[in-house]
Amino acid sequence: MKAKIFASIAVAITGAVLLYAVTDFPNFGDPRSPANAGVEGGSPSASLYYIENTYRDTKVPNLVTAILADYRGYDTLFETVVIFTAGMAIFAILRVLRNENAPSAPSPDPEASNRTIDGDHHRIIVGITCRIAVPLVQIFALYVVAHGHHSPGGGFQGGVMLGASFILIALSGSLRDALARFSEASYIRLASIGILIYAGVAFLPLVFGRNFVDYGALKGLLGTDGEEMARSHGIFGVELGVAFTVMSIMFAIFANLSTRGRLKGGL
Amino acid sequence: MILTILSVILIVSGLVFFFGAAVGLMRFPDFYSRMHAAGKGDTLSTLLVISGFALYQFRDIHDFSHDWPVLLVVLKLLAIVVFIYLTSPTSTSALADAGWEDGIDPVIEPGRENHLEDDCHRTPPSSPQP
Repeated sequence: MKAKIFASIAVAITGAVLLYAVTDFPNFGDPRSPANAGVEGGSPSASLYYIENTYRDTKVPNLVTAILADYRGYDTLFETVVIFTAGMAIFAILRVLRNENAPSAPSPDPEASNRTIDGDHHRIIVGITCRIAVPLVQIFALYVVAHGHHSPGGGFQGGVMLGASFILIALSGSLRDALARFSEASYIRLASIGILIYAGVAFLPLVFGRNFVDYGALKGLLGTDGEEMARSHGIFGVELGVAFTVMSIMFAIFANLSTRGRLKGGL
Repeated sequence: MILTILSVILIVSGLVFFFGAAVGLMRFPDFYSRMHAAGKGDTLSTLLVISGFALYQFRDIHDFSHDWPVLLVVLKLLAIVVFIYLTSPTSTSALADAGWEDGIDPVIEPGRENHLEDDCHRTPPSSPQP
């Protein structure tokens, strides 16, 4: 009870601070806001710069991807870290690691854990369709990740789809089926590897004596014609890292929430 | 011209089925008949409308060696058709199954044959779970 009071106070204070910060935002469409008018007069506006120069700088037709992963790559790195942290917080709060077979825990229904698609006539239709659908969903997710340069999409969207495909396996069969394909050890590892890929691609330019996330410095390493194509490939590497992290965290959150952290039985 | 007429026929018939699905969703008496209307009508109408779009795209192909990218759009639309053909009836089935397991009874006219009590797979909704 006391913890709830403290939590409520903390939530109220955080909300009040956030609401106070909102009043400092420029009005919607304000022509003199930093995004529209540039910094301290004189210089051209930031959004105009992006619209005019993105394709020349990065050879990426999709403006949003270029801004997200290149111009504001530092911001996106920490967005990915936020997702990773959310997953780890869920893991830390919910996951029950000890007393796996304690009598106090509700014993899992033995039939539920042995249930396979073929054994349960209720699930034949759903199970077979999901067997067909899951590979299609995963191929499309990879397409969305790789095609973020040219169409709406990218690491976050593709990663969510990849995670959803594993959730579909868990929903149609059982969580055990899904965990056999994507175990707890591998999703935690893959979430960290995703962050490492992003941070590594962002860190490499420092080795060549350039700034953090300045992928143009990878020109020699990637063997591209100019710095523009190097930036384009750098954006792809970063998106790949984002996709790994988002996929793993999506599935981790589902697995922990649906079983109250026991990773047994479940829906 | 023929392609345009065919595609318009497909799209309009799809809209007719859509209308039927919407009316059924509002007017039918219970969960299962409503879902029957929504599931079947929605699936068929979406298939018809998207097939109509795909046929309509074919009008843009005059010279194949130059216009072949249009074929990619057609293929994508057909892929959507196949995917909806697989998934939409499945989701309807899963929803009906969930409703049945949850103990939702269909509305049966008084005087008609009623086999609800005979079904041994069904747990009676009122009795407490052991």
